Amino acid sequence: MFGLIKTWRELEAKGIMGINRRNADYVLKYNKRSLYPVVDDKILTKERAIANGINVPKMYGIIETEKDIGKLEQILAGYDDFVIKPAQGAGGDGILVIADRFEGRYKTVSGKIISHDEIEYQVSNILTGLYSLGGGRDRALIEYRVKPDPIFKSISYEGVPDIRIIVLQGYPIMGMLRLPTRQSGGKANLHQGAIGVGVDLATGLTLQGTWLNNKISKHPDTTQPVANVQLPHWQQFMELAASCHELCGLGYIGVDMVLDQEQGPLILELNARPGLNIQIANNAGLTPRAHAIEAHVAQLKKDGRSETPAERVALVQQLFAV
Amino acid sequence: MRSLTLHLKVLIIALVSLGILVTAYQIFVLNIPVTEHETDNLWNIDAKIEFQASGNAPVKLQMFVPPLSDNYTSLNESFISKNYGVSVNKQNDNRQITWSARRNAGKQTLYYRMVLTTRYGAEQAKPTGPTFRESLPLEGMEKIAAEALLAPIRQHSADIETFISETIKRVNNPDDDNSKLLLGRDTSAERKADVIDLVLSIARVPMQRLHTLRLEGGSSQEPELWIRSFNGKKWLYFNPQTGQQGLPADRLVWWYGDEPLFNLEGGSRPQVSFTINSSEINAIRLAQLTGSASNATSFLDYSLYGLPLSTQQTYQVMIMIPIGVLVILILRNLGGLQTLGTFTPVLIALAFRETQLGFGVLLFSLITALGLSLRSYLEHLKLQMLPRLSVVLTFVVVLIAVISLFSHKLGLERGLSISLFPMVILTMTIERLSITWEERGGNTAFKVAIGTLLAATLAHYLMSIQELNYFVFTFPGVLLIMVGFMLAMGRYRGYRLTELFRFKAFLKD
Repeated sequence: MFGLIKTWRELEAKGIMGINRRNADYVLKYNKRSLYPVVDDKILTKERAIANGINVPKMYGIIETEKDIGKLEQILAGYDDFVIKPAQGAGGDGILVIADRFEGRYKTVSGKIISHDEIEYQVSNILTGLYSLGGGRDRALIEYRVKPDPIFKSISYEGVPDIRIIVLQGYPIMGMLRLPTRQSGGKANLHQGAIGVGVDLATGLTLQGTWLNNKISKHPDTTQPVANVQLPHWQQFMELAASCHELCGLGYIGVDMVLDQEQGPLILELNARPGLNIQIANNAGLTPRAHAIEAHVAQLKKDGRSETPAERVALVQQLFAV
Repeated sequence: MRSLTLHLKVLIIALVSLGILVTAYQIFVLNIPVTEHETDNLWNIDAKIEFQASGNAPVKLQMFVPPLSDNYTSLNESFISKNYGVSVNKQNDNRQITWSARRNAGKQTLYYRMVLTTRYGAEQAKPTGPTFRESLPLEGMEKIAAEALLAPIRQHSADIETFISETIKRVNNPDDDNSKLLLGRDTSAERKADVIDLVLSIARVPMQRLHTLRLEGGSSQEPELWIRSFNGKKWLYFNPQTGQQGLPADRLVWWYGDEPLFNLEGGSRPQVSFTINSSEINAIRLAQLTGSASNATSFLDYSLYGLPLSTQQTYQVMIMIPIGVLVILILRNLGGLQTLGTFTPVLIALAFRETQLGFGVLLFSLITALGLSLRSYLEHLKLQMLPRLSVVLTFVVVLIAVISLFSHKLGLERGLSISLFPMVILTMTIERLSITWEERGGNTAFKVAIGTLLAATLAHYLMSIQELNYFVFTFPGVLLIMVGFMLAMGRYRGYRLTELFRFKAFLKD
């Protein structure tokens, strides 16, 4: 009992944000419910991003009804690799990544061979809302498969590593590189077993890692150290993340981005309830950083000023450098 | 944000204080019992009157019955008498019952029965009584003895109260010659009361006799004589034999005054015997029985107790749902327990009501496990969600029917209760659990299932505490207090218990 109270105090002193605080002080406060569809529906996010001139993976097609499934073959014609996603999926559920075609069948990134029927079944499941947040009807999105930059080759297992930056009112406050593992099945979601690696916001150098709530220093599959890797195009990532605030209007979001070897930084999706494990990866609490930004924004509001994404990035790189 | 916080605080305080006020009003002003087990004694008093009717004259029997002016309420009064006319009339402080018949012969037996209780009596009227009287005429030796007795009493007393108790002490002192002379050989309570009356009359202190019964089950008893005197503010009661002051709570006044208990015309050899026995009754039912006399009952009319019985039973279940929800809220937001959906555990807990806990958990696990294996088989058939869900539902129904049939054949009637088990909940549980299984792995699915079962068990346990159920049902103001707590929880920012373990990695260096 006393041990727990001690833990509590120490976590509080480190400024670790818990779920209750995240929900009460940030998600509920800054994220207007009416704006959720923009981030919950990946198709809407994509459309908004394109309208704002922000780079996203190219969309091949949308399937909205069971009847449309017949058009799937037509949409896929001409592409050897693609990704099928539920527009309103949560936590990476229901995503199918096809890496290649193989004798009339398809090959997933993990090497599993599946038939066209199975893909159609998956799309049908997506449409009935099996993977959607509310369980209601959903749309299936078929898009460009991101080819990860070779820089991640040594510290990632299959799949696409992505970069998650938490953005509070347009200010990036914490960042992390998410690396798929064998256990996560090529997915970059921490709760599925992917690794989170903290990133210094100022330089883009990686810090230590977290895996299933523990601190780690090496990738479990490649045994390469995860720290001190310089992420390329870091400044571009930061500005991309900062500009997402204007894009969706939400005040507290997790921006998921990838680095494509041909197209550079791309925005994958936005998350209105970003997870908290990023704190373990950075060995730092979110609360003090959030408070600093809130104070800064209050000051700006008093002065009647506003800052551009570039200015915001400059500020946080000065404030939160490791 | 600040004003919102203030708004919320005001709302919480308003709700909680309203809830506390309503509940306190019910408990302290209306005297509604706090637990269902609180029972009240119900006294059954039978007075049996036997006599020999002469046969050639009209029979008339007058008897005092309790006036019930004080702490007792009569629930029922009956006069059992064949061939007699009955009338009850009030006479000063007393009530008198008159049985009369034109002509009756032989042995006669009349009964008077009264059922009374102590609680929920009406307000007491302000007492009044005489404070002065003329002294009784007294002559010769008795006068001298009385005055001799009086002198030290006067000396040792300060007011009416001490005067009377001093008098009783002296009269009861066997070594006091003066009191011995006044009493003669007779040391009965009646004689003592006469002597006390005499002495008090010289000091012009008024005194009244009263006859009481002790509310005590079992043996038959005779009315016991007490005396009382009014000191200007209240009546003071004394036992003339022992000098005990103040009427004990278990004493029921049968009648006041010097007159005998009954008087009979047209009959001989009268005999009265009293039998008293007690029974216990649920306090809240008693409150309803005592009728609309007190405001507690009129309040009960507008509470949930005013509903028809069958509806009351439904509400007794319904009113516990917030308690179950509160349990889930605490487990999830404070504890960090993972459950399947938010309120599925409450629904499962409700289902446990019908199956009993142990059996319910067993059935829940069994059906969910079988349902999951069916679901994983259906997975291979690549069915769409709705048809698949329908198949699972149908399978659950068949499964429940089979379990019922088997348990019935085996003589386990428990198994039949499953038919009321909300199977839609089970089906949804199976479906969602299997999705969790696929997406998050068996580990998480297992954790979630255990969490759900744990939460449901705890919720069921709390929801089935009889005392709690009674309390919430009788004092629905408690729900307001709970809403206040829930509102406060809505802005709770602290860590969840599981987070303390989750973030432990921070403290390792």
